[in-house]
Amino acid sequence: MTTNLSGKYAIVGVGQSAIGQVGGVSSTNLLAIAMKNAIEDAGLTNKDIDGLVSRGTDEIYCHHQKMGELMGMNVSYSNSLDSGGASQIMAIMLACQAIETGLCNTVVCGYGRDTWSRTRSPRSKMAVDMVSQSQLGLEFGPEFGILGAPVDYAFALSRHQALYGTTKEQLGHIAVTLRKHASKNPLAQMQTPITMDDYANARWIVEPLNLLDCSLLSDGAGAVVVTTAERAKDLKQPPAYILGFGSHNNLRGWYHNDHMTNTAAIQSSQAAYRMAGLGPKDIDTAQLYDCFTYMLMAELEDYGFCKKGEGGPFVASGALDLDGEIPTNTSGGQLSEAHVEGMLQILEGARQLRHQYPIERQVPNAEVALISGHGGRTVCHSTLILGRQPS
Amino acid sequence: MTEANTYNKPLPVPSPETEAFWEGCKRHELLIPRCDKCGSHWFPPSILCPECLSTEWQWVKASGKGKVFAFGVYHRVYHQGFKEEVPYTVAVVELEEGPRMVSNVTGIPPTDVKVDMPVEVYFDDVTPEATLYKFKPA
Repeated sequence: MTTNLSGKYAIVGVGQSAIGQVGGVSSTNLLAIAMKNAIEDAGLTNKDIDGLVSRGTDEIYCHHQKMGELMGMNVSYSNSLDSGGASQIMAIMLACQAIETGLCNTVVCGYGRDTWSRTRSPRSKMAVDMVSQSQLGLEFGPEFGILGAPVDYAFALSRHQALYGTTKEQLGHIAVTLRKHASKNPLAQMQTPITMDDYANARWIVEPLNLLDCSLLSDGAGAVVVTTAERAKDLKQPPAYILGFGSHNNLRGWYHNDHMTNTAAIQSSQAAYRMAGLGPKDIDTAQLYDCFTYMLMAELEDYGFCKKGEGGPFVASGALDLDGEIPTNTSGGQLSEAHVEGMLQILEGARQLRHQYPIERQVPNAEVALISGHGGRTVCHSTLILGRQPS
Repeated sequence: MTEANTYNKPLPVPSPETEAFWEGCKRHELLIPRCDKCGSHWFPPSILCPECLSTEWQWVKASGKGKVFAFGVYHRVYHQGFKEEVPYTVAVVELEEGPRMVSNVTGIPPTDVKVDMPVEVYFDDVTPEATLYKFKPA
């Protein structure tokens, strides 16, 4: 027997720090600002929060304790997570489970990073981008020059191209469309529109991925407050009801089976759709984990927005536009807004449901938003479905 | 063979479970674990069979033949040791015994590498202490 929690909990506050090329603030303090903003957005204070689930840069031990110290909180439930970009939705899932089991009532969840600042630091040896020393590995990689995050997605794209004939030009539509979305987001790290020619001429990083296939190196943090739908009624903002969530982790690895081209998003999305009683046709906007253009395209397939193998033609058709089949990454995503490991995607989903944006940025009549998280060693996936109504 | 005093790329740091594998490379043998119970092979080496969790298994010498499962070409230099190497090809190679392993594919221009292309192992004695397994077109 399972208890269906659909519509029983809600995101009642969202907040972020400065994002992009921020500098001068550590990742935990960026997150403290985001948490403060989320708590105040909900009309609450730090004294109202009795749960905390967080994640930061992976070298920080017992991250949630550091955050509680900064936020002046003793709580009845807290933890920090270790599943990369899948963690941020998992934090919300954990919050719902903790409230459901009576451990706490109101939980703040969030993630913060200072990746852009690290690349500027003369002390930094982080030239291997986005990959901390603990993730690097000591064998079966570095000795062959296999370093950094892009290579695993270059592998996957090479396979997708061989299996389905996916072209670079098709992927270019993702980069160009998301930049167009970011050009309407005054907080985005990259707001200057790009053309298909810019994409075609971008320098290779790990072929078949070029610079514009890769997400940004960003500083930034985001946070949300989760509580019961019952309590949400008395709070300041219209709630974003949590209609569904799911996860799946292909722990045997990205290189195992067909995990590169049939990702854990398949099972994760099925779990979330099942919980919500919804399917891809019911989703008004998608905020997908776009660490690389390839991953976004694979998710469009794995979430059922198009058939397996047809992600290339689908993105080239204009489907991701604000008036397209599935308006996607409407804030610009990690490719153009800022890469905060999926946290900003959660905020964007919730904000679209508040209908708070000017018309050029608002998905018309957005009732249901789907958000994805992806990461760890490229095999962890999580899914969140939010609604303007509890059912 | 590269001169030891000029070799400036990362070297593998074996774990207790992979030491025998790297020792095999020094003898120009590609060793992989094979389960006594279910017969499956796996990689990287570990203490038990990930299929059936048997702890009874043997090192066996792989044929060294396989195919390119996926590949990429580095243009960006992430480590100074590879500054003169770019563009270089990296790949996930699927051995005919089943396991997949990452390595380099050499002896062919990067633009000619294809998914599913047959390859075979060779050994590069990069320093007196370390030998790397690499692949070339079969």
